[in-house]
Amino acid sequence: MRSFLALGFALSTALRLAAQDVGARLEGHVPPEVQSAVKDIAADAAARGLPTEPLVQKAIEGGAKRVPAGRVIEAVRALAARLAGATDAVRAGGLESPKADVVEGGADGLSAGLSAGHVSALVRASRAAYDPALVLRVAATLAALGVPPKQAVQLVEGMIKDGRSSSDLLSLPGEVQAGVADGATPAEAAERVNHGGGNGVGNAGGNGPPHPPDWVPPGQGKRHKPPNPHKP
Amino acid sequence: MSLGYHPLVKRLLDGELSLAELPPELRAEGAEALRLVGAVDRTPVVLSPTLDDRVMAVVRRHAASRTRRAWHWLTAPRDVELRLRVRPALWAGALAIAAGVALLLARAPGSAPAPAPVARSGARDSVFVRFVLYAPGARHVAVAGTFNQWDRNAAPLVRAGTTGVWTTTLALPVGQHQYAFVVDGERWVADPAAPAIEDGFGRRNSMVAVTMRGAHTL
Amino acid sequence: MGLAGDATDSEVVRAVLGGEVERYAVLVRRYRDRYARYAARMLGSLDAGEDAVQDALVRAFDRLADCREPDKFAGWLFLILRNRCYAERRRRQREGRPLDERDDGVAAADRPDGTLEEAERMRALERSLTHLTPEQREVFVLKHVEGLAYDEIAGRTGATVASLKMRMHRAYDRLRDLMKEHL
Repeated sequence: MRSFLALGFALSTALRLAAQDVGARLEGHVPPEVQSAVKDIAADAAARGLPTEPLVQKAIEGGAKRVPAGRVIEAVRALAARLAGATDAVRAGGLESPKADVVEGGADGLSAGLSAGHVSALVRASRAAYDPALVLRVAATLAALGVPPKQAVQLVEGMIKDGRSSSDLLSLPGEVQAGVADGATPAEAAERVNHGGGNGVGNAGGNGPPHPPDWVPPGQGKRHKPPNPHKP
Repeated sequence: MSLGYHPLVKRLLDGELSLAELPPELRAEGAEALRLVGAVDRTPVVLSPTLDDRVMAVVRRHAASRTRRAWHWLTAPRDVELRLRVRPALWAGALAIAAGVALLLARAPGSAPAPAPVARSGARDSVFVRFVLYAPGARHVAVAGTFNQWDRNAAPLVRAGTTGVWTTTLALPVGQHQYAFVVDGERWVADPAAPAIEDGFGRRNSMVAVTMRGAHTL
Repeated sequence: MGLAGDATDSEVVRAVLGGEVERYAVLVRRYRDRYARYAARMLGSLDAGEDAVQDALVRAFDRLADCREPDKFAGWLFLILRNRCYAERRRRQREGRPLDERDDGVAAADRPDGTLEEAERMRALERSLTHLTPEQREVFVLKHVEGLAYDEIAGRTGATVASLKMRMHRAYDRLRDLMKEHL
């Protein structure tokens, strides 16, 4: 009983210290009302076991961007909610006590358009063989590049099922980015990667990636009418 | 070859005279001329709805390749000294990174100290990352992000020659970072070629992940 | 106004030159159809016109840093398109290809008060226009299709009003000859 009380005391002290730390970090970056509101949000988050660093970062960002106080507070609150949602989703995927980077990866995924279900599925797919933080990051980045969320998740799950290395997973966003730089839409670029075509990430500055003969870069296709046989 | 129109009829067609102002003997000719010009099709034309996407796809490609070209200009002559201090395998890996944003110059453990123009990070687990932005109309460009408390004054870019390209190289700690360019002190611009994520304030930030292998689009 | 918001051309150009590539989509949306009719009539078909507009918009992006007066983007874009149309015309002449016959035109018969005779006259005029010189065709299109005054045409193209009238008057004569069965 005493040890339980002692633990409770230690925890609340820690929380108080952490809150002070938040306050100190925000000093000079945001107005007092934001400082105070974020301290509360962060304390609440910490009590629920959520990472608080992203909240502090978001508040500093809002201050630097000269965003009105109310908007900053709103954004920090929304981020806290997202971190909570991500934690729930990650737990639903089988990770009981996720580390901060996994939760943050999940939250970024949610920001980028993945659903909670997607986050859980990705965590489940990672199991023992893959770092769930890495898997979530890759999927979040693909979505942030414009790949439709469902397609992004399928692409990552597919690579995991094929037993591809973490390195290969890490290269996915770069490959999609290369495809986009060549004129494909993100969905098209992701599709190409999925079918093993690749987008020539290794050819920086060369003649461009090799294409199968029937692949027309989207900037150059014709549109509403079938080709005129009389045209050369 | 038939006779052309009478000069007065031409002025009629130009809108400088009315039919009633023509001499009576020219009115038939005038009416005929008006029928000719009146036959022109003035239907407005609306182009296909996919035109916008097609144009923007090409525009993005051009923007990305411009940055890539600036890349090679930047990496060739000026970085000889840096290149010598980097393990060849890592350098080749760095060149393989696609379009536009961050080039990695990994500092291998135990390698030589940081070269002069780049601030020494002190920490072992940090990596040099180069930022590039094509902004010929800008007067001042900086990069701000989670690695420098979003301070718009902490990391200014410099013009690379006269190509309209701005650049800087920073030592970033290992981990996930968000950033954006600050143009002319007040406009926050996401990196066109990097993954974008809502910043919660109505704009978008860019993402870069720094690992000991280097900086990734991740 | 509308989807593009209230940003002026000048503001959008400055944003794009400041690195915000995606903002160019505002200008694309704003101008995609404005000169479409001109391009289609200069080159004889919707397809050719659309290609020209697409190329002109891309080229305007590539050379945006050269746009001396960002608030005159519209006129600057028009000149790029105009050059593109002339270049296409020269290319086809070199290759021995005539301008496309209109295969997508709106027939007068489709208009509520049109007659067959008028539809034929309209098609005949379209065909005849392809036989004018590019300069004659242009002044005719700008005046009688786009509805511009001579001084406006002069402002856009850099020609003098006197030379424009001379071209136009030759065009009238030529058209009269080409159209004689339909008048």
